[in-house]
Amino acid sequence: MDFAFTKEQLMFKKEVIRFAKKEIVPRVQEHDLNKEFDFESFRKLGEFGILGLHFPEELGGGGADVITTVLAGEALGEAGVDGGLTLALGAHTFLCADTLFRHATDAQRKKYIPKLASGEWIGCMGLTEPDAGSDVASMKTTAEKKGDKYVLNGSKIFITNGPIADVAVIYAKTSPELKHAGISAFIVEKGTPGFSSGPNIIKMGVRTSQTSELFLNNCEVPAENLLGKEGDGFNMSMQTVEWDRSALLAPFVGASTYMLKRCAEYAKGREQFGRSIGQFQAIKHKLANIRIFGEAARSLVYRIAWCKDQGRPLNHLEAAVAKLFVGDWSMAPANDAVVLHGGYGYCHEYDMERIFRDSRLAPIGGGTSDIQKMIISKLM
Amino acid sequence: MNYDFTEKEFTFFVQLHELMQAFTSANDPEKEDTAAIGQTTRGALAKLAETPYLSLGITPQKDLGLLSLMGAMEVLAALSPSLFLSVEMSTRVFGRSIQTWGNADQKAKWLTPLLAGKLVGAVALSEDALNVENEPLKTTGVKNGDSVVINGNKQYVVNGPIADWLAVAGMLDGKPALFLVEKNTKGLVLENRMATLGYEGTAMAGLRLADCTIPASQVLIPAQGQASLGLLRMWENQVILGASLGLMKAALEAAKNYAKTHKSGGRPVIAYQEVGFKLSEMLTLVQTSQLFAYRAAWIASDNPKEAESMTLCAKVFCTESAEQVASNALQILAGAGFMSGNVAERAYRCAKYGQIAGTSTEIARVKIGDESLGARLS
Repeated sequence: MDFAFTKEQLMFKKEVIRFAKKEIVPRVQEHDLNKEFDFESFRKLGEFGILGLHFPEELGGGGADVITTVLAGEALGEAGVDGGLTLALGAHTFLCADTLFRHATDAQRKKYIPKLASGEWIGCMGLTEPDAGSDVASMKTTAEKKGDKYVLNGSKIFITNGPIADVAVIYAKTSPELKHAGISAFIVEKGTPGFSSGPNIIKMGVRTSQTSELFLNNCEVPAENLLGKEGDGFNMSMQTVEWDRSALLAPFVGASTYMLKRCAEYAKGREQFGRSIGQFQAIKHKLANIRIFGEAARSLVYRIAWCKDQGRPLNHLEAAVAKLFVGDWSMAPANDAVVLHGGYGYCHEYDMERIFRDSRLAPIGGGTSDIQKMIISKLM
Repeated sequence: MNYDFTEKEFTFFVQLHELMQAFTSANDPEKEDTAAIGQTTRGALAKLAETPYLSLGITPQKDLGLLSLMGAMEVLAALSPSLFLSVEMSTRVFGRSIQTWGNADQKAKWLTPLLAGKLVGAVALSEDALNVENEPLKTTGVKNGDSVVINGNKQYVVNGPIADWLAVAGMLDGKPALFLVEKNTKGLVLENRMATLGYEGTAMAGLRLADCTIPASQVLIPAQGQASLGLLRMWENQVILGASLGLMKAALEAAKNYAKTHKSGGRPVIAYQEVGFKLSEMLTLVQTSQLFAYRAAWIASDNPKEAESMTLCAKVFCTESAEQVASNALQILAGAGFMSGNVAERAYRCAKYGQIAGTSTEIARVKIGDESLGARLS
């Protein structure tokens, strides 16, 4: 075993932190308060190369390995970038663009990947429905083939980037009588007749990400917009799990480092009873817990990334363990960080309350903790 | 980066498991009788000397390092926590003291038989309290010609009642020293063996040194001064990390097997979410602890300056996880888990030791917090 990053990877991480602190972090709090997507930051992420880091250079990507890609996510969290922007990045790059990269035709790749990698276009993925969350196979959205077109009908919910996306990967049943095997994936562009989004849903956290319903009302797409073959959709959606359990979890690991630094700064500067509160063991206890969580979670996340770099099929047990740990065990340190800041921790001026709200998504999004436990207990 | 053990490490772990499973099946290492503990420990050391196990972390081994040691510790601790603790406190803590601070003659005298599995050692560190972090050692040696006269009291000495040699930590000329005292030396008085919550197959006792006289050649003077006590604690902490992994592994395995075979309402109980989800949380803690402990071991060999901090973080997490995993295992095993001698029940009792011994979780958290605030450890 060897847990070392290469020098290049570590240098890149530092660069991302420097970039994010300068170009993104100064606007985070304002956008969170206004529940607005930060288009400028997203464009800058594209210019820096983060949106398409792992795609080939000829498609506008950075040609990076998975570990470097995951490191970028950790670096954004460590710099203080909010969970809303990193979630938007995740939905855009991994749930949408990566699915297109893997399953679209060459012509479609050339059409979409450069635009998505640069941030010129924003992508989203529509899987969840009002009555089909963890139970994906119960989805009701249908895609009926009519000549050289598919006609899509149905609705999606909780779609990150839904209101702002230029292109979506939409999952629909081409064979409604079948369960998982009846699901297919389609490319649907913004402006396609019959395709629309609802207003931004106000959420507890990750507020700068825009979340909405998507509506498909006799929405016709060309037959070539079917990704892969009919019935391949479920497996495609499962392939995003590798990214979901590594690159999308990495910002939470980075956020724990950010919290630790901010909490330590506050504890050193805040005086009560004639001394800095950092001298109280109860404060050190909280700092220790935040550090321990970050160190514990880090290896779980990078194990998934390393295995992917090795070309190994996803180990679903290890992936579920990583998701469950980051999801459930990140709550306590985020809470500690708020409490350590006292009244200030409860106020928006100090970003601990935002991180606390952003963290709350970890045990819910991308498969709840209960679903992870179902997976683990079945695989045991 | 590489998240796999090497083939050589895997082969070593399998061989170690087979060898020591056969040994622990034939010799119950969890017996409480002191004489039996001494006999079993010596028998185990002789067996382990057939493998690279005893030398790991002490003398360089081709393709096997500190990370291999952590994996091997997990194997042995899962088979018998008590035997593991006896072996490790002798080999790794006593042995590393000699290796690190001994001269050539001292290494020949103590390290050679130790690595051959022919010597049982103990380190006597703790005094009035279990921790030595905030109090200077009261045990003192005074030079008298070519001899040193030692006076002091020690507590909780693992292997105290069965050790051939004891390394007693104390002060000499105002600096920390380790006094190597042979059993039965005049002035060395072993107190009655302690009855403990867990690790009942490990012999632990306090000792008194009343004008105990040893030749000056039996004194180790650590070059690191006061920091040497921190190093001793770190070695203990690494042993406790290995113990925690083993306890969790054994408890999880027992609970999982039971949940798959024990039926309720016509279904194995693992099919019920109350049980299956508990097992999922346990597995999550086990896997997270494993990676944490392996990473701490890797840092110890790759970047020793960072080792103390990461070891403390891992120790807090792994020891607290061990108690939680053992508790849940006991719960899943239900009535069977509550019966004495059960793997989960034993792990539950032993797990508490890990949070108290070495650097306690309270002191560890204070140190980790101090480091976050900018303090340097050691």
